[in-house]
Amino acid sequence: MATVELRGLCRTFGSVVALDHLDLEVHSGEFVSLLGPSGCGKTTALRIIAGFEWPDSGEVLVEGQDVLGQAANKRNMGMVFQAYSLFPNLTAQQNVEFGLRVRKESREKRARRARELLELVGLASAMDRYPRQLSGGQQQRVALARSLAIEPRVLLLDEPLSALDAKVRVQLRAEVRRIQLELGITTLYVTHDQEEALSISDRVAVMSQGRIEQLGTPAQIYRSPRTAFVANFVGTMNKLEGTVVSLEDRVVRCGPLLLQVPDPTFNHPAGEKVELFLRPEDISIGLLSNGDKPAPGLFEGRVTSLTFLGPVTRVGLETEIGPLMADVSSAVALGLTADTVVAVKLDSTSLRSIAR
Amino acid sequence: MAQVTAVAEARPSSHRIRRARNRVPVWHVIWLVIAALVFLVPIYSVVQFSLAGVGPGQSPFHWYLTVFDDPMFRSSFWLSIQISLETVAVSLVLMVPTVFWVHLRLPGLRPVMDLISILPFVVPPIVLVVGLLPFLKNITWLFVRPEVLSLIYVVFALPFLYRALDAGLRAIDLRTLVEAAESLGAKMPRTLLQVILPNLRAAIIGGSLLTVAIAMGEYTVASLLEFSTFPVYTYTIGTSTAYEGVALSFISFIFVWAAMLALYLLGRGGRSAAAVAITNYN
Repeated sequence: MATVELRGLCRTFGSVVALDHLDLEVHSGEFVSLLGPSGCGKTTALRIIAGFEWPDSGEVLVEGQDVLGQAANKRNMGMVFQAYSLFPNLTAQQNVEFGLRVRKESREKRARRARELLELVGLASAMDRYPRQLSGGQQQRVALARSLAIEPRVLLLDEPLSALDAKVRVQLRAEVRRIQLELGITTLYVTHDQEEALSISDRVAVMSQGRIEQLGTPAQIYRSPRTAFVANFVGTMNKLEGTVVSLEDRVVRCGPLLLQVPDPTFNHPAGEKVELFLRPEDISIGLLSNGDKPAPGLFEGRVTSLTFLGPVTRVGLETEIGPLMADVSSAVALGLTADTVVAVKLDSTSLRSIAR
Repeated sequence: MAQVTAVAEARPSSHRIRRARNRVPVWHVIWLVIAALVFLVPIYSVVQFSLAGVGPGQSPFHWYLTVFDDPMFRSSFWLSIQISLETVAVSLVLMVPTVFWVHLRLPGLRPVMDLISILPFVVPPIVLVVGLLPFLKNITWLFVRPEVLSLIYVVFALPFLYRALDAGLRAIDLRTLVEAAESLGAKMPRTLLQVILPNLRAAIIGGSLLTVAIAMGEYTVASLLEFSTFPVYTYTIGTSTAYEGVALSFISFIFVWAAMLALYLLGRGGRSAAAVAITNYN
């Protein structure tokens, strides 16, 4: 188990800035995901840690020691790649043994270790199969076993599940997490899939344009996005534009509504334009009888779309404060059609504000 | 009931579906026969001619036996084999690491390599030789040895070997395999020998056999430099005894077919066999 620290990493490719003074500290035994859209620099950061890329400036410290002077084959880091990377000419067992052969381990030890690890990833019965005889999910499991065989200081996973189908991904990500917890290995996981990152990580670093926008636990990232980018990138958000009425009372006017923002860090002077964010699940709706007016604190909305998502249905609404999306139980949504008039209630305890 | 019967009759039987699926259009067969005739008629003619002109009481394979009895045949054939193998060895040692590095670290050079590799196609061999001769004559110890032919044939075989290796490397995810091996602690020589070469087996075998075919069949340069290789011997015999010349041609066909069969068998041998052979596992 080792700590990993990135200090001021910069990397440009021509005129493209891949990393812009990236700082990150990963604690021993921690599972940290680098989450972001394509081109945000997450893979570049991982490849620099692995030794396949070099930064223009900055430091990579593993257990407090700068490893930038070491070649990739000296860093003792396990890596699982996005592309299938098993050696096609070797069986699953020989693939897992490869790193141990490099370390000149005895045949018995290699065979024992390969069996242990293939059992760990649930593929003991496929030891003698060649990569072409394995499914994509099985290949990635063997690749994981192979990377763990060398007892790496750090495990690096570069979108290892992105080529797999949805069901296998969900299964395999749970297994990756189980194995990581079992071995207690420090792990950096690169993904563009927010659900994947939020479901298996101790902490998530949301990246954009070569920088970390926010680093926090999955719950912090989801419930308390600190930037508009994080709010928009992670999950679905309703964005309300408003003007601060009172700093002391943290009151913002959105159209005809006065909303109190619960965020204690709210620090915008009166008159400043702010954006308020609210998750679809924090908006509830109720049917209005013909001619009824919404109760105080509620406002009227008209259903514009209904998207069935399984247990919930996402309801598109046209309201006096702009278009909104609300997630309601699919059973409740059965009574809704386009143009249904409903009463809308915002859970203002979940409102987050970000300066525009 | 009548309605059910009508539906069943309207539906084609599985036998009819199978027959329709397996039906080969007539014009496919016609073109196949024409193509086969183009290839087979000359070979048949060669065989027939090589068995003709035999005197009474002589074996129908008289011209073949005469050729095999000739010490010049054996020496020229052996010399060509020797030159071919040297050409293959030099070509592989030069080209495999070069193409590997270009693909891995200098992909920007690939268009340049493509261009260089087609030069021997566009420049006729005689022009190459005329250009090379003054240079080679200065290296007197080499000029008089058959190894000089190997060096020239390396240039002739360059496009074929390069194309084969290039296709082989494009077919694998080279960078990922190299990085995977590196992350497991392997240095480049081990990665090349145990990971990359086994996966280039078909490309290497294919390129090598094409190289052998070129080296075994090249006449112009060998004749100009006055080496009695198999093609030069074949031509010389052919000018004096037509039957023996044709028999020699057929022997060279047999050699090429044997080489193709070897390619097929080696290519079919499965990755495991190649892996054992090349990586010397355990």
